[in-house]
Amino acid sequence: MLKITNLHVEVAGKEILKGLDLEVKAGEIHAIMGPNGAGKSTLGYVLAGREGYEVTQGEVVFNGKNLLEMEPEERACEGVFLAFQYPVEIPGVNNTYFLRAALNAQRKYRQQSELDSVAFLRLVREKLKILHIGDELLHRAVNEGFSGGEKKRNEIFQMAVLEPMLAILDETDSGLDIDALKTVAEGVNRLRSPDRAMIVITHYQRLLDHIVPDKVHVLADGRLVATGGAELALKLEEQGYAWLEGGGIETLGNQSAGQAQMP
Amino acid sequence: MNEWSTQLAAQLPQDSGSRPDWFRALRHAGAEQFRTHGLPTRKDEAWKYTGLAVLEQHGTQLANGVEATLSSAATPLIEVRHQIDMLDGRMLDTCAELPAGVTLLSLDEALCGGINGLQELLELLPQSAQKKLSSDGFTALNTATLGNGMVIHVAAGIDGGRFLLRWSTTAGGNTGSGARLFNSRICLILEAGARLELVEQFETPHANANTSNIVIQADLGEGASLHHVRLVQEFPEASLITRTEVSQKTDSEYAYYGFDLDGGLVRHDLHCSLIGSAAKASLSGVYLLDGKRHVDNHAKVEHIGPDGFSEQYFRGVIGGSAKAVFNTAVYIHPGADGAEAKQSNANILLSKRAEIDTKPELEIYADEVIAGHGATVGQLDEQAIFYLRSRGLNKDQSKRILTTAFCRTVCDRLAYKMSDDKLADAISQRMMDVMPQADDAG
Repeated sequence: MLKITNLHVEVAGKEILKGLDLEVKAGEIHAIMGPNGAGKSTLGYVLAGREGYEVTQGEVVFNGKNLLEMEPEERACEGVFLAFQYPVEIPGVNNTYFLRAALNAQRKYRQQSELDSVAFLRLVREKLKILHIGDELLHRAVNEGFSGGEKKRNEIFQMAVLEPMLAILDETDSGLDIDALKTVAEGVNRLRSPDRAMIVITHYQRLLDHIVPDKVHVLADGRLVATGGAELALKLEEQGYAWLEGGGIETLGNQSAGQAQMP
Repeated sequence: MNEWSTQLAAQLPQDSGSRPDWFRALRHAGAEQFRTHGLPTRKDEAWKYTGLAVLEQHGTQLANGVEATLSSAATPLIEVRHQIDMLDGRMLDTCAELPAGVTLLSLDEALCGGINGLQELLELLPQSAQKKLSSDGFTALNTATLGNGMVIHVAAGIDGGRFLLRWSTTAGGNTGSGARLFNSRICLILEAGARLELVEQFETPHANANTSNIVIQADLGEGASLHHVRLVQEFPEASLITRTEVSQKTDSEYAYYGFDLDGGLVRHDLHCSLIGSAAKASLSGVYLLDGKRHVDNHAKVEHIGPDGFSEQYFRGVIGGSAKAVFNTAVYIHPGADGAEAKQSNANILLSKRAEIDTKPELEIYADEVIAGHGATVGQLDEQAIFYLRSRGLNKDQSKRILTTAFCRTVCDRLAYKMSDDKLADAISQRMMDVMPQADDAG
């Protein structure tokens, strides 16, 4: 579904991603972990098409199409969804109005009929039920005055309604207490499907207790330096990222994390 | 005084002679004032950013008083029981079934007597005008031609309900020739404890390059309440010059909601005098501009009695090569102790050629006063635009949603304070329809 090859990205003249390779197939969940400043959020923004991120080399192919050529809204319409680390507050714009406008923009792009407010509300109620979220978010302005937990739940709710093919969750766990984390993780699990892929960007292993990934990658200094199964995350939690520095990295890339040698 | 003003002065009507002496004296004073000073120019501080060349270019002549009938009219903004059509500044017909205690007459009829306080109210303006003669050229012209217009009187303790005033001008006066200037005067007299809602809709359904010069005078008795909603959606060649003068006694309340959505040159002087104690004035509005339009709002509140409250809340979105002027002034006079005054003006510029001149003024000569003002000019939030786009909305849709939300706060205030979602939604829908588009560069 998604193939990233040798991706180099600069932000304000500084190279952040330095030759990243990643392939994600439909139905898979990939976790990307790594220390601060490794380029994790940059990856999310580049895939979503944010301005100010200049791709200097490499390519990103999504369902056979060149993702990097598309405007942010085209990517969304093609099925890419970024759950923001810091969802933006938009005073004065009603959450339900916004989401219906977004969904209908996507449906129009895909040459599907637009949903009227009754049909849309039916869909929204159904999704809220699946996610075990109350309807209080519906009546408020987009993210305005939301707590950290409410903002992240709102991202998951949007994802549930928009039904993307590829969801990128950028540190969706940050700033959440354990109960909010569980709610969000449960929501994500309910949206797992054989047709949908997810990239879960996170700092900590604890989210991965609840969302069990198929693969875990370690992003350090602009490259994926290690790949393994879910157990790699446990190792990272135990050892921190410091052990990645030095000679261990190269060999790690080709081994499962369980066998990785510590320096 | 420039040549055009001299031409206009020569077109001033002769006194018909059939009206009361005080009224003839009033018109005479207005004419004298206009003949001496003419229309304002950019040399006048209050007109520094607003030139009148466009009126002159249209060859605007003073309307000659020919009776016209309404051929077509805009769809009413809202359905109301009491709708009054004002064509070329003249009241067309009176409403049936007025509530008990409410008197509604054309100005001409009202002059025959019977309206308590009308003479005093009309005579107020030339007096206050003497302080700033040249800036009141339009008001002087309005007084010199006094005759068209309407009077609403609401007796003590009566709720007069809502009146829709639908303004339009006759066809003709397309760009280049035949543009006319119409004068009209509205007097609102609310006795103690009376209430009234006035909704004005300036919308001529056909192209014209006319100018309307309208003065509204409101006299609010003790504890009286006036809600004033104004929607301006005229053709880009048409001009609208208005002055609203509100005189407020103790515990009275005036609330204004202005929506400048279209019209070439729009100038509004809104002036509240809080004379009694604990009077309240809440002025809010939105101006949306694109193309080469020009909107100039001058809002002024004078706190004269103690413990008054005033609030000014205006939002502007300016695109194209349009220009907005916003001047908000609060004067807290000696003796107006305990006054509270808030001023807020925020603007979004959508293009590099768009312009806003915003100037808050605050002068305090009293004690125990709470006052604050702020004016901001900015662009749309890039992060918010990206957030909306990342959900599938294109750039234009995203910007439109954000600008609408920015202005929607004024509709929300209206909906809340007037408990009328329907009116707020009707206006909000119109705002969305005419919301200026951002330049790609902007």
